[in-house]
Amino acid sequence: MYSLQIENLTKRYRHDVVVDDLSFTVQPGRVTGFLGPNGAGKSTTMKILLDLASASRGRATFGPTRYRDLDDPTRTVGVVLEPNAFHPGRSGRNHLRILADGAGIDPARIEQVLEMAGIAYAADRRVGAYSLGMRQRLGIAAALLGDPPVLVLDEPGNGLDPQGIRWLRDLLRARAAAGGLVFVSSHLLAEVEHLADEVVVISHGRLVATGSLSTLRKAGVSVHTPEPRPLTRILTDAGAAVHAAPGGRLVVRGLPIAEIGDRACAAGIALHELAPEAGSLEELFLDWTDADKPAGAPAAAAKAPNEPQTEVVPL
Amino acid sequence: MTWPRLVRGELRKLTTTKLPWGFLAVLILFAGIDAAVVVWGTDMDGSKTFISTAEDQQSLMAFAFNAMLGTGLFGAIAVAREYGHNTVVPMFLTSPKRSRAVLAQLTAVLLGGAVLGLVGQALIISGVALALPSTAYGFLVSAGNVTQLLAASTLAGATGAVLGAGLGAAIRNLGGAATAVVLALFMLPPLAVQLFNDAASWIPPTLGGVISGVSTEVTLWAAIAALLAYGLVPAAIGLLAVQRRDVV
Repeated sequence: MYSLQIENLTKRYRHDVVVDDLSFTVQPGRVTGFLGPNGAGKSTTMKILLDLASASRGRATFGPTRYRDLDDPTRTVGVVLEPNAFHPGRSGRNHLRILADGAGIDPARIEQVLEMAGIAYAADRRVGAYSLGMRQRLGIAAALLGDPPVLVLDEPGNGLDPQGIRWLRDLLRARAAAGGLVFVSSHLLAEVEHLADEVVVISHGRLVATGSLSTLRKAGVSVHTPEPRPLTRILTDAGAAVHAAPGGRLVVRGLPIAEIGDRACAAGIALHELAPEAGSLEELFLDWTDADKPAGAPAAAAKAPNEPQTEVVPL
Repeated sequence: MTWPRLVRGELRKLTTTKLPWGFLAVLILFAGIDAAVVVWGTDMDGSKTFISTAEDQQSLMAFAFNAMLGTGLFGAIAVAREYGHNTVVPMFLTSPKRSRAVLAQLTAVLLGGAVLGLVGQALIISGVALALPSTAYGFLVSAGNVTQLLAASTLAGATGAVLGAGLGAAIRNLGGAATAVVLALFMLPPLAVQLFNDAASWIPPTLGGVISGVSTEVTLWAAIAALLAYGLVPAAIGLLAVQRRDVV
């Protein structure tokens, strides 16, 4: 089984640092969501991983092996990167035939993946006449052509209808359940919330959170205090993300529950409530990727306040 | 046996779009024009002496330079559109060792260019042969010279396609690559001749004439070597450019 390892990965374009000292690991048997705002460096990271772009520093490998050194890349890693990487005048079937020819895959597999992706009925139509959803399905069919144990998918849900989203979710969960590695970037947070076991979140090219989604979602603390302003300032200075919540409460992320209590106590601020609070992925994402924060600021740390830290990497 | 598989995939790429059919249509048009010239064309004095000897007929039918120019555009379009349509992404994912992928692509384009050159020359010979009975002259070119014409256009077609493919890989933009082919084969050689008189013997139209047996400016082998250089230099530039660049 392959794991996916990103080690100190940095990519510079002239003076712009697109990926900045990024390190994380993705394990097989899980669906891992790769999240970040537009321009965070997700696609660049994936391209470096797939040897389509070079790293300025660091490594991105499948196990110990770079993509270009894999014995049989098409049968090892299935990829969806560009939603429109098709010649519009070529049929979907011929697109897959070309890939099968190049990879030495049995042509019978083409029919299987066309059926699997639900586009067998349109296989002989020009891709230029496909809807975005059909092109996305064709891209996923191409990724599955070599029946690879690893899937690296960049926004695979784009353009899919609800049935397509459900199909994709079931497919990816089944691949992970069978021991495969599924690494999927998406900006559809609700979808990731349904799909992913783990998440890796980057912003401005830097890692801001990684770990089990269930643990990360619990990484908030509800605080009720008669002095919200000074407490907010103290906690923000300590690197936490603090938001006002209904009922005069504050929701604090990025600091363990005990540290919040200790800091309030040290400042002489009374607390009427201090309790763990689960947040939605959207709330977490906005906290982690707050544009006003410097990249990688400790505020983005996804520490679970009341759970062991083993599944979460605090930053 | 990765490389033959890649070549097969690249050949399928060429044959699963309308690109070769478009070029075939142009070749048929060329053959029709040559046939029409034979039927209706005359010299200044109203005679048809331009087809009166075997040499004249061979010269009329010599297609090598046109084959090179046409397949140069074919190669440029075939490769540059890969970047335009992003199909270069699955290509490099299938073969992350890019030199293999590009060499397979160059091989497929070379074969396509050779076939287009051969078919184009065969159509022109056929068109002229069919048109000659409407004149007072018969088909005078020997079988050996017909064979030379076919071989010359095949070689020129292959070379032109590799030249175009190399420029397509280096430039990536379809319009830019096609313009570069026209500049390299059609615009710059006359300018080079203006600057250096001796260059006239080494420009593609002259070399095409030499390998077709209708010119003796340089030796046949020197002409073949020079034509190959016209193809190989841009191909090497394209290959190097692809190795170094990110696919973005």
